[in-house]
Amino acid sequence: MTERVGFSLGRVGTVAANTFVESLRQKVYNILIIFALVVIASASFFSQFTFSEQLKFVKDFCLGAVSVFGTLIAIVGTAQLLPAEMESRTIYTILAKPVRRVEFLLGKYCGSLLLIFLSLVMMSLMFGAALLFKESRLVADVRHDTHISTEEAATTITRIHQEARDGDLVKGVALTFVKLSLLAAITLLFSTVSTSMVFNVAMGFMAFFAGHLRASVAEMMGQGRLVRWLLTIVPDLGAFNVADDIILGNAIPWSHVAQVALYGVSYTAVVVVVAYLVFADREM
Amino acid sequence: MRGKLIAVGLLLALAAVMMPLESRIHAQRAELKFGGSGMTMAMRDRVGQEMAIGLLAGFRGVVADFLWIDNHGYFERREWLRMYRNMELCTTLQPQSVTFWDVGSWHMGWNIAYASRIDPANHTQAEGIKREREWQDKAKDFLTQGLVYIPHRWELYFAMADLYWRKFKTPCQARDYFQRAAQFKEAPSYCLRMYVRRVEDCDGPRAAYDVWRKRWHDGNPEPSSDGIDMKNVMRRELHRLEELLDIPASQRLISSPHA
Repeated sequence: MTERVGFSLGRVGTVAANTFVESLRQKVYNILIIFALVVIASASFFSQFTFSEQLKFVKDFCLGAVSVFGTLIAIVGTAQLLPAEMESRTIYTILAKPVRRVEFLLGKYCGSLLLIFLSLVMMSLMFGAALLFKESRLVADVRHDTHISTEEAATTITRIHQEARDGDLVKGVALTFVKLSLLAAITLLFSTVSTSMVFNVAMGFMAFFAGHLRASVAEMMGQGRLVRWLLTIVPDLGAFNVADDIILGNAIPWSHVAQVALYGVSYTAVVVVVAYLVFADREM
Repeated sequence: MRGKLIAVGLLLALAAVMMPLESRIHAQRAELKFGGSGMTMAMRDRVGQEMAIGLLAGFRGVVADFLWIDNHGYFERREWLRMYRNMELCTTLQPQSVTFWDVGSWHMGWNIAYASRIDPANHTQAEGIKREREWQDKAKDFLTQGLVYIPHRWELYFAMADLYWRKFKTPCQARDYFQRAAQFKEAPSYCLRMYVRRVEDCDGPRAAYDVWRKRWHDGNPEPSSDGIDMKNVMRRELHRLEELLDIPASQRLISSPHA
């Protein structure tokens, strides 16, 4: 007679920690994150423009790089989780122990989330450093400019500080994290169906592009209820793009951030449940 | 099999649940005027394949920035029309960018206009002046369009006022735009000062004096966004105008420009 094992968060945590450490040891991840940090740091070398242009370029470039490298890490990092376990056959050893499939899958997903979070923190810190560096250079340039009056210099320096120290950028990074979590969940769903990592990565990117194209497709196909309903199966990733508007100085209310985050988290939860249902049915 | 069927059912149910939330998010984005115009075939032809992929992937800001950087090359090669079309494209991609409208109009109204006037290809001096005026008009139209998208910031009102004042030499129109710029709390102190100076040019020193006088009686002004003490500015300007208008000492508000 077999005894049914209850759900344990501890086992989820163990699998997550193990997944996280394993991912950190991967060369692909290390190369990606080093490259991301170098790209972000290089953003501070935009020059020959007005200070508004330079600060806009730095912010756009850095947040763009955070999004690109975050997407790469989320998709590539998650796509190889299950295929790697199957290829090395460690999944059979783990599931033969009192570890439920739901715990295993959740642990893998949470490990991937930790990796995405750590990457975002590192890239954001580098972004902050690039912005501070650019700000200090611009302020120094204004102080050394002998063609402007003291009053004008003071006004320009105040404007540089205002534009460089924009607290709303945190909202942009937070929503990027929610978007990457959703992309990781979608990639996890594909990896429960296929054992090919290349296929999973390709499908992850397809989902990324489809999510961004959704608004355009909806515009082209009209606003019919059936069309809208069918399109809702694909998440609208464009909704998470508030970074452009933050950089342009538009006020982003917290209520909007909360709504978009709720949208992303709800999607992610359902996709993870669907991934579990597929994984639970799968023959090993 | 049962699990897979439930999974498909869940995904379909998700669509029904998500529709109202999505509609709310889209409505809020429209209300907040987020994003720019959608991708069109004309835009695709002008941005090139790589940039189009960037646009489709949601990197509108980065694409607009790289296109804007191209302006530098057009400027150095004196390819004014290409530069103009490029600036138009950038503002189509990011119509909420103050920088693009502001710097774009400055290029048109100042740099390109001047370069067109002194262009050796002009047959007569009059042709140069005509071409200069055409670019200044373009700058004005560009700013007018920008103000449709960004009426809630002071920068474009200031740029328009500056254009009217320094290029079209029409202080009365400049006065109106400086006044609108000065009404914003975030506007730097010079907006107000320049507004009253244009009141002086347009309506005479007495009118300018009345503006400062009213503000003086309104009480202690808050420091402006650039940290300049407006009380000192008012003191200086009132004293200058009282001297200019030769106001009797007994009626003066300021006996000395220094406190």
